[in-house]
Amino acid sequence: MATVLKDVVVRRPVAATLRLTVPAGGARPGPPVAPVLGQYRLNLMAFCKDFNARTQKYKPDTPIAVTLTAYKDNTFEFIVKSPPVSWFLKKAAGIESGSGRPGHVSVSTISLRHVYEIAKIKQADPTTKHLSIEAICKTIIATANSMGLEVVKDL
Amino acid sequence: MTASLHGRLSLLKHLIPFKSHHSSLLSPLHTTYSTSLSPDSPPQILTPPVSTLSRFKTKPSFARSVQLNGVSAFTSESDTSSITDVASDYLSVNIRCQKQDAEALSEALLSFGACSAYMDDLSDFGDLDEISITSIFPQDARVGTCITEAASSICLEYSPSYDISVCKQCDWASYVQESFQPTKVIDGLWVVPTWTEPPDLQSTNIILDPGLAFGTGEHPTTKLCLLLLYKLIKGGEHVLDYGTGSGVLGIAALKMGAALSVGLDIDPHAVTSARHNASLNSINPSRMPLYLVSGKSGLASPDATVDDLVSRKGEFDIIIANILLNPLMELADDIVSYGKPGSIIGLSGILSEQAPQLEERYSKYLDGISLSEMNGWACLRGIKKMH
Repeated sequence: MATVLKDVVVRRPVAATLRLTVPAGGARPGPPVAPVLGQYRLNLMAFCKDFNARTQKYKPDTPIAVTLTAYKDNTFEFIVKSPPVSWFLKKAAGIESGSGRPGHVSVSTISLRHVYEIAKIKQADPTTKHLSIEAICKTIIATANSMGLEVVKDL
Repeated sequence: MTASLHGRLSLLKHLIPFKSHHSSLLSPLHTTYSTSLSPDSPPQILTPPVSTLSRFKTKPSFARSVQLNGVSAFTSESDTSSITDVASDYLSVNIRCQKQDAEALSEALLSFGACSAYMDDLSDFGDLDEISITSIFPQDARVGTCITEAASSICLEYSPSYDISVCKQCDWASYVQESFQPTKVIDGLWVVPTWTEPPDLQSTNIILDPGLAFGTGEHPTTKLCLLLLYKLIKGGEHVLDYGTGSGVLGIAALKMGAALSVGLDIDPHAVTSARHNASLNSINPSRMPLYLVSGKSGLASPDATVDDLVSRKGEFDIIIANILLNPLMELADDIVSYGKPGSIIGLSGILSEQAPQLEERYSKYLDGISLSEMNGWACLRGIKKMH
């Protein structure tokens, strides 16, 4: 990986962008956090304490998407976002066949309503506020299709 | 989208994980390191874990439908898997794509099995330049499938090329140590790593080798607690360090003149670390007994040594608990039960915005509640009511 960065004097030069999924309240000095943060010499314990404190309001172990900006001076900032789209889709598909016939009903479809509801949650994320609901829905549908889920208008 | 969509009861509200009463269903990400999969089972990320309280019982069929996808993609996979090392602990995958697709691809990877995706700063690259994303997967992940699915979910027109390397579990403690510097808490009180000379030999120096446990003295919450102890300890007190981590607070209390410092934690790494640090500071184990307790509902595990802990209820002059909001809320009864009437209780590990909630919870146990803050973190203190 040859990345030659020019010596640009900026207020806070960015070293890297790191994306992680960490269980709410469950950041530990081990994978997946340690290999990534260790790579950029970031304070692992400080991140764990901070992340765990900020995710206390989520049900424990919910996978939380985190985007960290690592600066060249080994400091960092991070944003906590909602769980990955696939997690919501998985749950949506599960609930879809909560008709009480487990194993008999296909769970490979979700409805547009689900997509819309997921999009609303995602739109509240700090990094996607500027995107239209429509654009977010399109991404969700594409993800659903890639997971083998069919999106139908109504169920 | 019609108005009726807005009006309809949102099934998904049940799925929003904000303190719902439903059971926690969850991402196997943190469990993949301890389970092994047979080659025919579907990608771990898409198979929810077995939960006896789960109301979503149709997961097997979901997994089957995904597996169909997985199987067909798998047979056309071109990753010449050189993963022959069965002792490997995780996979580090280098993925090449165009800069304009990097952000979307990184996000998508997290939805399809990657634990993380990171890349160096891209500001010097043009949109069509090839850049590298490094992505970490659990050792049993089907990397090729994950990448293909991630790419198609963002409608990528090309297949990103990638290399997989196997990474062994590391000594993560060494990563922790890299950032640990000698820290002055207040004039005359320092916390110093065991591998560094104390900058001020005249002051009280707490020597630490924290390993994987929390508490190097650098974090604002540790500092707030150390400052509180510094103010409170006059000599001869019995102190309880609830959630001892590296033992830093218990050790500090003894060095400041406390007679006894009892520490407890749910993490075995913490108890080991605290024991080690006590000896680094020449503290006799009898002055700093340590207990490994069960994390569930604050009850100590039914075992002889822990009965000893429970018999100390009502004994302590000072209790300090630097943990997190949820355990502080759930374990309020337990924490307070260890204090004498009139004892001082200090609670931290909370953000300033979480303090009002905690204050409300503890108001039935404590009088004279006050707050100290540092850099957005808070420490709450109060006096245990006399009855």
